[in-house]
Amino acid sequence: MTPLKTVGHGTHRIDALQRVTGAAKYTSDIHLPGMLYARVLRSPHPHARIRKIDVSKAMALPGVNAILTHENCDITWGSGDQLNQRRLFNNPVRFAGDPVAAIAAIDRHVAEDATHLIEVDYEVLPFLTDVEEALKPGAVVIHEGGNLSLNNQRQPVPQTYKRGNVADGLKAADHVFEGNFTSAHHNNAQLEMRVSVATWSGDKLTVYAATQGIANCRTDIARDLKMNVDNVRVISEYMGGGFGNKNQCQDSDLMAAMLAKQAGAPVKLEFTRKEDFVAVHGRWSSKQSYKVGVKNDGTLTAIQMTALTGAGAYRKGSCDLSGTEIYQVPHLETSVSPVYTNTAVAANYRAPAYPQAVFGIESLMDDVAYGLKMDPMEFRLKNMTRKFRDQTPYTSIGLEDCIRKGAEKFEWKKRWKPEPGSGAGPVKRGVGMAMGMFGSGLGRSSAVARLDGQGQYQLHVGVTDVGTAAKTTMGLIAAEELGVPLEKVTVVWGDTDTCPYSVGESGSRTTVQTGMAVIEAVRDLKKQIAEKGAPKGNDVLTAMATTNPPPLQGASRNSFAAHFAEVEVNIETGHVIVTRFVSAHDSGRVVNPLPAQSQVQGGAIQGIGMALHEELLYDKRSGQPLNAGYYGARIMTHLDAPPVDVVWVETDEPYGPFGAKTLGEPTIIPTVAAVANAVYNAIGRRVKSLPITRDKILQALAKNGDVA
Amino acid sequence: MKKISRRKFVEGTSAGIVAVAAIPAVEAQQKTAPAAPSVNPTVPRTAIKLNVNGVDHRIEVEDRWTLVELLRDHLELTGTKIGCDRGECGACTVLVDGTPLYSCSQLAVWMNGRSIQTVEGLAKNGKLDPLQEAFIEHDAPQCGYCTSGQLMIAKALLMKNARPTRDEVRTAMTGNLCRCSNYNHYVEAVMAAGVKA
Repeated sequence: MTPLKTVGHGTHRIDALQRVTGAAKYTSDIHLPGMLYARVLRSPHPHARIRKIDVSKAMALPGVNAILTHENCDITWGSGDQLNQRRLFNNPVRFAGDPVAAIAAIDRHVAEDATHLIEVDYEVLPFLTDVEEALKPGAVVIHEGGNLSLNNQRQPVPQTYKRGNVADGLKAADHVFEGNFTSAHHNNAQLEMRVSVATWSGDKLTVYAATQGIANCRTDIARDLKMNVDNVRVISEYMGGGFGNKNQCQDSDLMAAMLAKQAGAPVKLEFTRKEDFVAVHGRWSSKQSYKVGVKNDGTLTAIQMTALTGAGAYRKGSCDLSGTEIYQVPHLETSVSPVYTNTAVAANYRAPAYPQAVFGIESLMDDVAYGLKMDPMEFRLKNMTRKFRDQTPYTSIGLEDCIRKGAEKFEWKKRWKPEPGSGAGPVKRGVGMAMGMFGSGLGRSSAVARLDGQGQYQLHVGVTDVGTAAKTTMGLIAAEELGVPLEKVTVVWGDTDTCPYSVGESGSRTTVQTGMAVIEAVRDLKKQIAEKGAPKGNDVLTAMATTNPPPLQGASRNSFAAHFAEVEVNIETGHVIVTRFVSAHDSGRVVNPLPAQSQVQGGAIQGIGMALHEELLYDKRSGQPLNAGYYGARIMTHLDAPPVDVVWVETDEPYGPFGAKTLGEPTIIPTVAAVANAVYNAIGRRVKSLPITRDKILQALAKNGDVA
Repeated sequence: MKKISRRKFVEGTSAGIVAVAAIPAVEAQQKTAPAAPSVNPTVPRTAIKLNVNGVDHRIEVEDRWTLVELLRDHLELTGTKIGCDRGECGACTVLVDGTPLYSCSQLAVWMNGRSIQTVEGLAKNGKLDPLQEAFIEHDAPQCGYCTSGQLMIAKALLMKNARPTRDEVRTAMTGNLCRCSNYNHYVEAVMAAGVKA
């Protein structure tokens, strides 16, 4: 790979100064003259019909300006549910936390007080919290058509994939391994809670949104409020994280807009931390069952997976599972059924369908390797994917190098113990590894590049930067293509009035998709400069590009990773510490290694939390969430976090900006399974449900066997 | 901003925020901005004096306001963030008389006579604190939302222990969550700033 001048060198974020001085203005920092504060009243019941709602006492409270309920606000929140009509305020309410009313008042205390004055007469309905119970005959129906959600073709059957014939593959196997694995609903838990500030000027609406994509947020708001898209402006200058739960437009954006309209004043709506855990969304839970056929020499012959996933009360996400694709196998069948329950909604969280599915398949493949007395790393080298779905060549694949170089950095050969659970107690050491991959498709995006008479370049891109350093990345790509230092490029971002369409920071697509548009715009600008000469005085040259490459034919573009974990398990307390971690990644050329390293380390540490701690628990008898909030979720802290070593495998990738592939989401995909496999290697017992908490470890040790 | 005399202020004809340049000439002209209108006269209010980042303030606060509300909503110091508003995440960490505290868990009325330092007070005379420089150098903030709190807890640590070990840094900062989980870079940055200090 040819080294480049600007791209590929660790560069500080262009907005780093704002981030360390408190000058960066996040949505919650926006204060508009005459602004009101809003609060949401939520259902205390997991399932109930509202017979009557009386807001008169709340409205009479001095300082209260506007109240919305299902009676006076019939807005459909389009991105809140892909299949059903989900309104801002639903009747019936379908989970404890479903919005019932929103109030705008002169300050947040008055708004809070007003929520206690709204009288709601509920007809409490039967509810359910468990996906298996939801599919039993006679179960409470949460949506018309039943609790088995439709597949992605809107048919009442599971989402399936098939190649070959699994029965043949299992027949051809020397050994068949089976395993059941479950994963918990857990929360994105980004530090910035859901917040929106809305203000109207005539029929024009401006929303300061904490969104991962201003363009999609704007079109969603316009669609849901039945407005002309030109009358909606979305601004997101700084964003405090999302990991997928701030894609598109959120109900808070619509509520703030409608409250502001009713009150005739700007409105800021901030969700509380508890609301963020219960009423936004987390990663969907899963129950996975596998059968794997394998030859004596370790060659896979078949994989079969059937799974249920927990959609929660609405179908906001795909609720799919993706993990089996990392293996080369002639016979493969997968079947995934998303199921409704009266619990918090599940949707996108960093690589939405992956880490929980990779936990399942990689745990079982570990069992296969140990069962055949093979080194789990050698087993993976033998069976890892070579072509997408064993059919389509990859544009580039560095998976083997991720495994080999990662293993070398980790000292796998030295640290792996062939006999799981061996060694003297009470603290047992073990290591594990896992693989992962993620799509890195090309797609539509736009950029505007300008050169003014003072010799400064401006780059307008519709990115928001969720913490990925996206705006710096865009600046680096422009500077590289222009052949100028980054300082010569001013990046303009985060405002639909000044920035063209960008896909937004979901699917880890910004670098690839908007990056290509930046290159095209800059090429056009350079052409104009060559033809017309550099502008002087007040002249400006402007180039706009929209790139929309057709889907690749006969090739698949993917990022790859292999993770390695070492743990210490105290067999007296069940406490697990991750002591060593290596993340090896093929994301093509790394545009900015400094923040890229931050992302890889952060993804791994987040994944360790998912593996060991995080679960939104429900009380089955009351349907109430029990541990909404940071303390109960036990997300990773400074003291939990191990040092993470990063290994880059920079493949020569023919597509994408300077050969860059996707990075942000793959960073969490193999982590969970690597930790789970390390725990198995340490104690010789497998905990088959996430999170792998102390009680499960102690239970496995006590019964001297695996635990579900 | 309307200028009023100190006497008028004390007489209570206008409750409000008074900000003056640090220490001298307190008796001279002072600035005031209107406080949030009191819509409910039954909510108790108390006049307090406090110093924030070297600037003296006199303000009548509702007794239910937290310190972080006072800073963000009434003193326009929005660098301090609210991540949970319930004492779990540390995003709102500020120094009160040099001690790091969660400002969401302190009432504003308790701050009478206290001295507060926020992230806005770290840079002096346009020069960044070594911690801020190290945070940039090591790419410590990802989304940046927890960064102010991480800076303030690290500041408190380095004031007590200029050359902390890695484990001392992790222990001191463990009450400050970062969901981007950029803990490695935060620790490296604090260690580097310690060496420089």
